[in-house]
Amino acid sequence: MRTWRTWQRSLLLMLGLLAVFGTAAYAQVPTPPAAEFPYTGNRTAVWIVAQLHILFAAFILGAPIFVVISEWLGYRKQDPRYDRLAKEVTKVTVILYSMTALTGGLFIFVLLATYPQFTTWLINHFFLIFAVLYPLLFIAETIVLYLYFYTWDAWKGEKKGRHIALGVLLNIIGTVTLFVIDGPTSFMNTPAKAAEGLSLVEYIQTASLWDKVYNYSWMPLNLHRLVGNVTFGGFIAGLIAAYMYMGAKNEEERSYYDWMGFVGNLIGVGALLFLPFMGYLLSFELCDYDASICPYMMADQLSMFFEMQGAMVGLIFLASNYYIWLSMKRIEGVERVRMSALTVLVMVALPFVMTYVWTIFPVPDPKSLAVLVPLTLAPWILSKGMPPLGRITVSSRTVIKVGFLMVVVGNAIWMTPHGFVATQALSTEHLELPSDWSFLALMPAKNSAAFTLIFVTVVNYILYNRAIRQGTIVWGKIDFAAQFVLIFLAFSAIWTMGLMGAVRSLVRKYFHTYNLMPDFTAESFTPTLSYAAWWITGITLIFYMVVSFAIMVTLRASEAKAPEAAAKPVPAGAK
Amino acid sequence: MRDQRSFLKNVIKKGITGLVVGVFLVGVTRALAFPPVFQVMFFTYAMLGAAVFLLLDAPSLQPMSGTKALVALLAFYVVISGVYIGGASLWPQYDPEDEKGKIEKLLKAKRAATEQGKAEELLARTKALSEKADAIMQRLQAVGGAALARFPTGADGGIPSGASPAASGDLVALGKEQWKLQECYNCHKLSGQGGKKRGPEMDNIGNLMTPQELRQKVLDPRSWMAEGFEKEYEKKKMPDKYKDLMEDKEIDELVAFLSTLKNPSVNTPKAIKKK
Repeated sequence: MRTWRTWQRSLLLMLGLLAVFGTAAYAQVPTPPAAEFPYTGNRTAVWIVAQLHILFAAFILGAPIFVVISEWLGYRKQDPRYDRLAKEVTKVTVILYSMTALTGGLFIFVLLATYPQFTTWLINHFFLIFAVLYPLLFIAETIVLYLYFYTWDAWKGEKKGRHIALGVLLNIIGTVTLFVIDGPTSFMNTPAKAAEGLSLVEYIQTASLWDKVYNYSWMPLNLHRLVGNVTFGGFIAGLIAAYMYMGAKNEEERSYYDWMGFVGNLIGVGALLFLPFMGYLLSFELCDYDASICPYMMADQLSMFFEMQGAMVGLIFLASNYYIWLSMKRIEGVERVRMSALTVLVMVALPFVMTYVWTIFPVPDPKSLAVLVPLTLAPWILSKGMPPLGRITVSSRTVIKVGFLMVVVGNAIWMTPHGFVATQALSTEHLELPSDWSFLALMPAKNSAAFTLIFVTVVNYILYNRAIRQGTIVWGKIDFAAQFVLIFLAFSAIWTMGLMGAVRSLVRKYFHTYNLMPDFTAESFTPTLSYAAWWITGITLIFYMVVSFAIMVTLRASEAKAPEAAAKPVPAGAK
Repeated sequence: MRDQRSFLKNVIKKGITGLVVGVFLVGVTRALAFPPVFQVMFFTYAMLGAAVFLLLDAPSLQPMSGTKALVALLAFYVVISGVYIGGASLWPQYDPEDEKGKIEKLLKAKRAATEQGKAEELLARTKALSEKADAIMQRLQAVGGAALARFPTGADGGIPSGASPAASGDLVALGKEQWKLQECYNCHKLSGQGGKKRGPEMDNIGNLMTPQELRQKVLDPRSWMAEGFEKEYEKKKMPDKYKDLMEDKEIDELVAFLSTLKNPSVNTPKAIKKK
């Protein structure tokens, strides 16, 4: 164990030094010839390494956010399960932290070897970030993460507050790191707009670092990634729980990991509810930067990528609601839980009413809120304000079933394309929606579909919460299929992340940096969705193998070593 | 056993319901003149709904452990991987070949400006000259000195090359090519094709704006606004990137093409000067 930790520390130090001095030194070297990757080609090689790095990075940045919250909840409620969850996820985080550094180093090597001219150009533009800020933040994060992990048992009882503060510090550093590295990343999509009378090339030569970092898509990307990372971390926590539940040897373990799966799913879904808005904000800013990006994404070359995204988001919402359904089945007394019939009415009316409203008042026109807010709150307001209406109730089973029906309807609206063609240029009326129905493919309909999925999920969680309060939940007795649902959710979340990561990169079209640094290589075309799907699946599977290995070497191994410690967790507040 | 029998009953019940709803949707969409591909899509949604409701009432899965759980897990990964790859491959695929030639043309001028581009161009010119010299030598050898007088020469005494728009210098044809390369059709309708109401139809623009004004609009989209497109103008829908992306020559070509668009039967909106 000691050798492993030393190896980790040495590796991180080496990569940190490489990042500090290697990139700086390389940036001074005259442009060397590009290497050529066999079989995959250069672009796909960079794609694989970059996506793997981002997946690991997303977990190590997202997981600590809910780890600290979980630790704090454990301390406040004196419930040792929260503390144990936080510690177990942190154990996995430490291993994956090494993988983040490893793939990050590999990413730099591959990028420098395959696109030397562009990489040197980018490093020179963001020299302070690549050579100073980012390595320093990475080193600081390493130190704080290890401190946080190794002081877990020492800083308990009265010192718990200190430990939680350390976790908060870890999150602050992690978030700043994310924001800093998002500067060059978003710059590649939306470089700063030229001042009046200057060409973009001239302007960028004189622009300050802040001008380049604070570009159109920087803050939307920060927010999208921040929320996406928490979603991702939550679903991975669910995956850990599912693995451990499957391998649990006794009822106590099953009970704990059943609970952990529930919490992981709750975090994942809770953050997922905000993700469509963040994604919308990012694409809104991209289109605002250059309106030609919009048709490229939604109507032309990448339009089918968005169809696939619709299918994936729909599946994720179906699966997360199915998990709630399976969880409800094991609550004793759930049949007594009822809900206002108005909720069901709103559920059914929502996609149709909001499509109409958002057509008249397109987003971001706030006038649409005058209908949306009262409509969604109507079941609660009317039930309280007009008791006779509130007395008309339906069973929880009916609410959930109608909810599933509306999730299917929402998915159908989301996935309905304007035409079954990969590009509008090839569109014919035999492949297009009739003109009277073309609104089904427009943003108001898609927004209302997304909102319906969110509304149904929120209602289901409210129902679930009532069921827990009114009935008795039997942890450890959940339908075994729920473990596969958790695994499915994590797999699908990773896959969707890969898909949308590819989209974000591809919207740069034939540029490394949009409109600024052309990609002269033969690989600068838009790949097919099928080709992308093969690689995204491959990347997801590699990531899964590494995460599964990390879970096995951390949790299963420690469990085998000290089963009594795992079975009897120390209360967070105990000395 | 009872569980299995009731599940089988459920499969039949939900399957029939799905089929009925699916057939109903196909009937409705056919009556509403949806193309067949959309009718199939709605039928698929109905079957998806049936599968979801079937899953809701499925009997509980028995707990697994050890090798059985591992095998089930691996099989599960194989199935979802297959479904995702298969699902993505079922959607219509964009053909990258459509784009490759376009990108080559779009980046030609920028590539030529790089050191590598200059070297490549020099090599290509040398090769072309050498081939032409060989061809001339062969002709001279074949027809003798008398034919030399009939050999066509260019204005500068050089040999005219092919009849492509680029070589012939047909500005309008080159401008039409720029229209396609810059994907103007994504926002502007022309001859009834392309456009999604983001920009005005262009069929009569040649009668409404002078070449100088058109050039000004392409280089600075804020300089002119199409009547009735106030919202789009405010939202800066037309990208201001063409001054950076297009060479002077390419803008001339595009303007030459746009100036020929003089079809008064199409209601191209009036241009309002803003700057």
